[in-house]
Amino acid sequence: MSNRVRKDKDSHRKLWAVLFVIVSLFCIIFFAARGRFQAPVSSKAALLVLSPFQQAVSWVGSQVSHVTGSIWEIVTVHEQNRMLRNEVEQLRVQNLEASEALAENERLRTLLGYRQMMTQFDMVGARVIGRDSATWSSVIIIDRGQKDGVNTDMTVVTEKGLVGHILEAGWNTSKVQLILDPRSSVGTLVQRAESRVAGIVQGDLDNPTMPQMVNIPKNADVVEGDVIVTSGFGGTYPKGIVVGLVSSLQNDSGGLLKIGLLEPAVDFQKLEDVMVITESREAPPEPIKPPAQTPGTETDPVAQAAAAKAADSAEENPQ
Amino acid sequence: MRKFGRLALFVIALYVLQTSLLPMIAYRGISPDLMLLVTVSFAFLRGVRQGGLMGFSVGLLQDLASGTFLGINAFTRMLLGMFFGRFSDRVFKEQFFLPVTASITAIIANYFILALLMVLLGYRFNLVSSLQTMLIPMLIYQLAFAYPVHRFTYELDKKLSEKEKH
Repeated sequence: MSNRVRKDKDSHRKLWAVLFVIVSLFCIIFFAARGRFQAPVSSKAALLVLSPFQQAVSWVGSQVSHVTGSIWEIVTVHEQNRMLRNEVEQLRVQNLEASEALAENERLRTLLGYRQMMTQFDMVGARVIGRDSATWSSVIIIDRGQKDGVNTDMTVVTEKGLVGHILEAGWNTSKVQLILDPRSSVGTLVQRAESRVAGIVQGDLDNPTMPQMVNIPKNADVVEGDVIVTSGFGGTYPKGIVVGLVSSLQNDSGGLLKIGLLEPAVDFQKLEDVMVITESREAPPEPIKPPAQTPGTETDPVAQAAAAKAADSAEENPQ
Repeated sequence: MRKFGRLALFVIALYVLQTSLLPMIAYRGISPDLMLLVTVSFAFLRGVRQGGLMGFSVGLLQDLASGTFLGINAFTRMLLGMFFGRFSDRVFKEQFFLPVTASITAIIANYFILALLMVLLGYRFNLVSSLQTMLIPMLIYQLAFAYPVHRFTYELDKKLSEKEKH
């Protein structure tokens, strides 16, 4: 009998303990989401403990995917070659137009006395070593941390475009919040010169692979296929980094605004290497150079490159 | 103490597997949730108290290490661990059918608790499309991984209990 009573008392106590834990967890969720609470040391400690394992396993994984990728490439090399040749043709035409425009731009700038401001970035390369299932949030772990000069709120990019920003920097690893995360918001612009409409790019819970650009006025000049770049408003992200392409436009439920669904420039499903912008500063422009071409192929326009170089030096000399 | 160490190592190994290797087979960013499977299996083998504790610690590890909304995994996993722990004395431990199918229920419950939390946090989403893009691939992955994870947990649990008896 006494045993029974003790058991009852015990289970009561347990029930209260469990309730206490549940309620406090509930509170923590809300305070943490509002930014009022952060787990001070524990989160960094967890990162530190997990990092060697994650680095090792992701190294193995990347080797495996490298091997399978190479095999696939060998199999498809013929088709790929044909496509690349086509692309080279198109790009060469584009390149010509671009260098023409560049030269014109330079001339007009000097005419106007416009001080050319180009931002130059100091970057640290990093490898993605961990990623949680993209269900309600999208965060990746990279293998650089405070010891490599990486700090909270730094921008993370690839050569294709914007990836996200550093959510938390540990000693040798950091968490990167992707632009797909519903908590992330990026100030952006439409790149097209006639448009320059500003909007905010946020992660979308409905479609965890495509972020959406919100707060576009209904009559704004945004069309499908527009390139969206960062605007530099807000200060976290530097200006002019490609975010993605507008793939479709929808009306907001309020009726006054439009929402653009974006096809991100970066392929987030195959994110392996990223770069962290540790510092961005205004720098004088580099002299214009022709872009590097693949040497040894028959599409290598040596003559064209030489001509461009000659034109370049001719332009530089008078200054 | 050694028992605890072994369990912790097992959980960490699974977590690392889940975050470093499984994203390679992810479908649109969704990959299997091994941590939930471990919680459910462990709860079936060990009961309410240890199931809840396992859910809590596994969830906390995930919250701290992954940078998601702090506390949401600890919260849902603890509730689910306690819930499935209730069945531990009603099923045979050698019986694998129930824990494996329970993982389906677990992932659905997990999904809806998290969806509710998201709504309470002020994030709006379309439930139908979210069900299609998230829940269905997750269900398939969970079913595929439920048996091996439960098998491992079962073997580990057996070894640990044998040691306890000695």
